[in-house]
Amino acid sequence: MDDDMIFDPSLKKKKKKKTGFDMEAAMAGELSETTSADVPAETGDVDVPEDDSLDLDNFGKKKKKKKKTFFNLDELDNALPEAKDEKLPAEEPEHQDEELIDDLDLDIDYTRTKKKKKKRNLDEIVGEEDVKAGEDPEREEDQNGEWHGSDRDYTYDELLERVFDIMREKNPSMVSGKKQKFIMRPPQVVRIGTKKTSFANFTEICKTLHRQPKHLLDFLLAELGTSGSVDGNSQLIIKGRFQQKQIENVLRRYIKEYVTCHTCRSPDTILQKDTRLFFLQCETCGSRCSVASIKSGFQAVTGKRAAIRAKTA
Amino acid sequence: MSIQNLNTFDPFADAIKSSEDDVQDGLVHVRIQQRNGRKTLTTIQGLSSEYDLKKIVRACKKEFACNGTVVEHPEYGEVLQLQGDQRENICQWLTKSGLVKPEQLKVHGF
Repeated sequence: MDDDMIFDPSLKKKKKKKTGFDMEAAMAGELSETTSADVPAETGDVDVPEDDSLDLDNFGKKKKKKKKTFFNLDELDNALPEAKDEKLPAEEPEHQDEELIDDLDLDIDYTRTKKKKKKRNLDEIVGEEDVKAGEDPEREEDQNGEWHGSDRDYTYDELLERVFDIMREKNPSMVSGKKQKFIMRPPQVVRIGTKKTSFANFTEICKTLHRQPKHLLDFLLAELGTSGSVDGNSQLIIKGRFQQKQIENVLRRYIKEYVTCHTCRSPDTILQKDTRLFFLQCETCGSRCSVASIKSGFQAVTGKRAAIRAKTA
Repeated sequence: MSIQNLNTFDPFADAIKSSEDDVQDGLVHVRIQQRNGRKTLTTIQGLSSEYDLKKIVRACKKEFACNGTVVEHPEYGEVLQLQGDQRENICQWLTKSGLVKPEQLKVHGF
């Protein structure tokens, strides 16, 4: 859980670049939606009051550190062009103007890339911490020894290091790097003739997602607003023209709603039907929540009305 | 100093207000359906019955330069139909006009 919260921004960055369709990307995509709204609010109240939970506390601290580094950078950058300006103006007044403009541009850029910067910083911090701990555990022990008698306060860096040590101890999976990724094969979507589309590895994808083919089929057909069926070669035939990208989008939404845990975003979940409602049980964090039922909703008449009338009459 | 007890207090004050100033409850589903060829159809289901859908459709038709109609459905009530893929347009328009909150919009389809 806590490694999730800490590593997510960095993970997100890396994954976004990937073009392959994997589960993480799906999650990350939705993450960015949700977190982008959350982040500013969080940064607003950086001062997290003394909290017992490791996780929260750490989060708050992180934010602080990030902020610091960010502002430092900003100040530096502001300072640098000024220094240049002082030297230059006597010689080239025009250039100064240009530089001013450059300066402005820079500023704007900073405001724009604020978030990214922060994330990168977080990444760096985490990286640094890793390196530090790897390099000199002995020195740290020495320090611990030194502290033993004295009653001086811990510095922020020391505390941070300590927290990371504890975290590493508690979840060894964090040390080995990122949490394991859940990579999915992209859906193979082929057109059959002009009016039908085949989703060739449909059952395979159902297996990787650990979901009943029927459930995914219901969802796909409801979302796409068409009809279709699974044929003998266990491929899905959908009426209408669809491209792989479009199917991917729908799959992403399916994974977001019915595969990943809504609390911890782990894909290790079970979908159960209980009194006509579907419940998502997470194997990692043990949470259980109901998920929306699949409804196709209103379907407009797209075929020939005469044919429908002939059928009903 | 005024006597608090004598003030008339309306317990439903905020209930009335919330239904007045704001929009509607429930999700608005925006769907797309494929028709023959490259043609598509956008349906908007779940708009509050307090709105005059005919007026909405008239405005939408003008705004998006497409045809559209209101269909009565026994289960889902009045449903908007617009020609073509107007999902983006209609979402923006509904939020901009303040009829629907962005979090109430649910876009389906690919």
